[in-house]
Amino acid sequence: MSGAQESVSAVEPFAQTGDTRTSSKVSRETITTISVAILCVVLLLAARFINPALGSWAQVETVLILGLFLVVLSYGQGLVILTGGLDLSLPAVITLGGILATSWVGSGNPAEWYLLPAVLVVCGLVGLISAIGIVWLRVPPFIMTMAMSIIVLSALLGYTAGTPRGSAPDAAVALMKSHVAGLPTPVLVLIIFSAIGWAFQSRSIYGRYLYAIGTNVEAARNAGVPVTAARILPYVISAICAGFVGIALVGYSSGATLRMGDDYLLPSIAAVVIGGSSILGGRGSFLGTLGGALLLTILGTIISALGLEFGLRTIIEGSIILIALLLLREELFQRLRSIQR
Amino acid sequence: MTERIDASMTGFGRTSTFRGLVTGGGLIVLIYICLYAVYAVQQPKALTASSIAALINNTAPLALAAAGQAIIVISRGFDLSVAGVISICNVVLAVYPLEGPGGAAASVLLCLAIGAVVGAVNGYLVAVLRLQSIAATLATMIICQGIALVILKAPGGYVAEWISYEMTDVLWRVIPVSGLVVGAVVLAWLAIKRSAFGISLYAIGADEASAALSGINTRRVRFGAHVLAGCIYGLAGFMLSAQTATGSPTAGTPLLMLCFAAVALGGTSLSGGKGGVFASVMGAATLTLLQKVLFSSGVSSFYTGMFQGTVLILAVVFSALLARSGEAK
Amino acid sequence: MPSGQAAADAAEPRERPCVLRCSGLHKAYGATVALQHADIALSAGKVHALMGENGAGKSTLVRIIAGAVSPGRGEMYLDDRPYRPHSLMDARRIGVATAFQELSLVPNLTVAQNLLLPRLPGSAGLVSARKTFELGGEVLARHGLDRIDPRAEIASLPLADRQRIEITRAIENATRVLILDEPTASLAETDWLFERIRHVTGKGVAVLYISHRLGEVREICTEATVLRNGSSIASVDLSAASDSQIFEMMVGRKVAHKRLPRAVRSERGQQPRLAARQLGGRNLHDISFELRPGEVLGVAALEGQGQQSLFRMLAGLESPSQGQVLVDGQPTKLSGPRAALRTGSGIAYLPEERKTEGILSGLSAATNIVLPIIGGVSRASFLTPRMELRAARDAADKVEMNPRYLDFAIGDLSGGNQQKALIARTLVTGAKTLLLFDPSRGVDVGTKQSIYQAIRAFADGGGSVLFYSSELPEVVQLADRCLVLYGGSIFREFEGDDISEQALVAAMLGHGDAISEEGAMHDRAH
Repeated sequence: MSGAQESVSAVEPFAQTGDTRTSSKVSRETITTISVAILCVVLLLAARFINPALGSWAQVETVLILGLFLVVLSYGQGLVILTGGLDLSLPAVITLGGILATSWVGSGNPAEWYLLPAVLVVCGLVGLISAIGIVWLRVPPFIMTMAMSIIVLSALLGYTAGTPRGSAPDAAVALMKSHVAGLPTPVLVLIIFSAIGWAFQSRSIYGRYLYAIGTNVEAARNAGVPVTAARILPYVISAICAGFVGIALVGYSSGATLRMGDDYLLPSIAAVVIGGSSILGGRGSFLGTLGGALLLTILGTIISALGLEFGLRTIIEGSIILIALLLLREELFQRLRSIQR
Repeated sequence: MTERIDASMTGFGRTSTFRGLVTGGGLIVLIYICLYAVYAVQQPKALTASSIAALINNTAPLALAAAGQAIIVISRGFDLSVAGVISICNVVLAVYPLEGPGGAAASVLLCLAIGAVVGAVNGYLVAVLRLQSIAATLATMIICQGIALVILKAPGGYVAEWISYEMTDVLWRVIPVSGLVVGAVVLAWLAIKRSAFGISLYAIGADEASAALSGINTRRVRFGAHVLAGCIYGLAGFMLSAQTATGSPTAGTPLLMLCFAAVALGGTSLSGGKGGVFASVMGAATLTLLQKVLFSSGVSSFYTGMFQGTVLILAVVFSALLARSGEAK
Repeated sequence: MPSGQAAADAAEPRERPCVLRCSGLHKAYGATVALQHADIALSAGKVHALMGENGAGKSTLVRIIAGAVSPGRGEMYLDDRPYRPHSLMDARRIGVATAFQELSLVPNLTVAQNLLLPRLPGSAGLVSARKTFELGGEVLARHGLDRIDPRAEIASLPLADRQRIEITRAIENATRVLILDEPTASLAETDWLFERIRHVTGKGVAVLYISHRLGEVREICTEATVLRNGSSIASVDLSAASDSQIFEMMVGRKVAHKRLPRAVRSERGQQPRLAARQLGGRNLHDISFELRPGEVLGVAALEGQGQQSLFRMLAGLESPSQGQVLVDGQPTKLSGPRAALRTGSGIAYLPEERKTEGILSGLSAATNIVLPIIGGVSRASFLTPRMELRAARDAADKVEMNPRYLDFAIGDLSGGNQQKALIARTLVTGAKTLLLFDPSRGVDVGTKQSIYQAIRAFADGGGSVLFYSSELPEVVQLADRCLVLYGGSIFREFEGDDISEQALVAAMLGHGDAISEEGAMHDRAH
């Protein structure tokens, strides 16, 4: 056998002959996250020039409080987009969460400690139904979540007969309006949520499964990934996130309306895209999405402080998204990589 | 072999007649006829010319939106800017009404131009700069929405009388003008489908890389698709303005989701490479009719959405099942 | 100058004119040099092979000649005139056409449309379906493919026919140079292809033939250019160069003859790890076999004889319509690769096409390797890239994969390294049975050896391997036993020294006696 072993080991060094490939250590994800973070800081500083009242610490706090909604929502949307889908039912589920919170729970309800989680469970169920349609009935995510959105909003319309009633649960108000150790509670929640959220997406086995599925479902299946369960998970999570946002909104503005979720859908997708995730799935990091969500929130506050009419604001928001998309193209990254060396 | 590629239903290759009928639009026509029968039973007046005309008038904007969207979906893209184009066209017509037939002609051209410009921008972003279509058209839609809001802050204004009267009118007492417009678009599509451009459209929807390697100028085709779709959206905006006779900066928003519903209902696959405009138009017609049927069934208008959503899911599942039954080899 | 010129002259009395001459071609992508210095000359009417390992620059050279990519430095002359195509279509117009390894046919268009693209016949802007059908049919008839319906959709045709159409399209357009990139990858037999090539060379077209299969290359090509490390090492007359000389040129040092003695590893009487009992389903019927611990069982077959179904059924991706699969002696219904890993002593699956079914391109090689066992690698479901790297290291060593590649995105690696990573994945799972479908497909000589080594070591350690290969020398070299599939059932079985290329080929083509129902398992090959 020794002769055979010799010949084999003689071949060994040649296995890498001629392969001079290199791979960039600085990934696209890192570049985007850093760029977005820089942009946020730049904007905050620029805001000071526009109006000295802006850019103050109090303003930063307001941004972080307001940002909570979009950050949590974009996290869920980001997980869905990561697996190659899209969740268009978020506004409806936000509304569902808000309306259930005001009508089931209301203020001064001692049972709110288990009723509010129940609201989240109901929202999660909506996500589960979407996921079942997408995974088992093979309805494209776009369609399924759009259909669920129409169904849920219609159901809410009928349930409230057009006029939502009730008031905000105490816990929700406490969440949005209280302070813990000097920090506004929403800011604390934002920080904790972001840390856990990032760890789940980028450092847990479930996160790996989601990235795998977003890249190639068949290959993921062949690699032993529990494909069915992993495809359902993001929709349930995003629905729960949306429900949470509904409850938080109710706590913040003390009431629910039937259109309360409308303004959040496009920004949730925009935050994910600006943050560097591929709309096709398989790539992206929550840190980027976090930056994108904060960026959009800062933008929103600056624009309303400038007193711009809504139309102009919308144009500016859309242009920002466009600029972010243009700057994040794959080719630019490849050119950047080759310049580095 | 894994289920990678569907046996086609473009009608180009040999397919079973039944499956060909589904995506060619046959099935949705059947559904429409059945639904209409139900409607006729509920509303005896449904079969009168004026009732049919009103129905077609109502359907026209969505039908045109779906037609344009189908073109983009076939080439494996999504176009969210349909809402933006329709909104801009609507507010422009309501804020700057141009009277008389000359004014109407100018208005149509204006709408087509608006659609073409937005389409060209989309086309440039998607075909030349290679942005993902859903992201690029999301951005352009938001910008268009903003432009519409700047032109008209709140619902108001009025659309030129000639347009709102004539375009909702009936020719020779039977044929609604809006129907002719939609019909013209469908006929134009049937011609395009047989042209090199049309064939290329299906090709890049199925496999853009192979299409490019086979000599198709994928950039030009995709760009052209967006411009064409944009023009059709402009037409949809024009017909919508004729219908509502007033302006609203968010006129296009409800049509966004519905036009995708119409495309899917018609059997056009959302992953590109198959389907058609006629089927999508019929999908739009079915959705509109469904609304009417529900209303006359006494279903509270609150719950129309639930039905539409469920119908949509069922339609997509059914057409997908049909597609897969053909694949079992 | 190629040696053996005399031999060449004896075959063709006059020297053929040079159709394509490339010198000093260089191409770099950023700081990566894909092609250092390549010279190649193609003569009219001759078939010229291009050989070299993965990463040697073959595909770059091909893309340059085909017109897909422009060289950074160097010159090309076609018929003594400067040749600088700025696109594939441009090159095609000049008469240089390519049949790609990754087929470039549009799946939802018809055969005729694909053949005639981009110039479809018609008038007044409309394409005539009838003319397309006629012209397409003519092309097919010209190339002996009239059994294919011009109106059939590409997607509905089997892979072999699609490859034939890809090749036909290239032949139609190649008036000066025809480039064939791994043309036999999906073809079971080479008769049609070689006949077409001879037809084409008869018309004075120069053919560039890229293939890993030395046997084929010797059959159809007269000369070869060998690339190594991005440079052309030599152009040789194939009739004068031996296999080991060619390998030496490709690899850089003498590679000892690769045949290793096959040690008897499997002990009879042990419980078979994997068994099939009258398994039947799509394309398969009445498959029964046993795979024992320590055994390497090969499957040899022409294309489409049911081997794909067999492997997919054993991995749980397809369910059999009859019969049973037994794991460790227990009948089981496998629901998928994940379940297969967890059943009994475990079954790990290597899919056929790494690019579309195997790798997860954006994830690192380490992640790709440990993905099936990622739960075990993690702590309380959380993990870091470093933990993945550590867990992958061992398996990567077994396949001789350079550990520095472990934190690369797997999509950035060469095909050979990707394949190594996928095989490492099967090893890392701890499964005792490996199902490897064409484990060394599209992989260079050096990587092949590393893969064979890993498979042998695995079997020596008591593991069982079931593998399919379309390359007979590989089957001969690796397998302890071999099943030949023909028409969806096991046609013959070979054991030990009975496994020889001639015997296998005969069985694959359906010659010889089929297995009798009871007992007698092998026919001695005379």
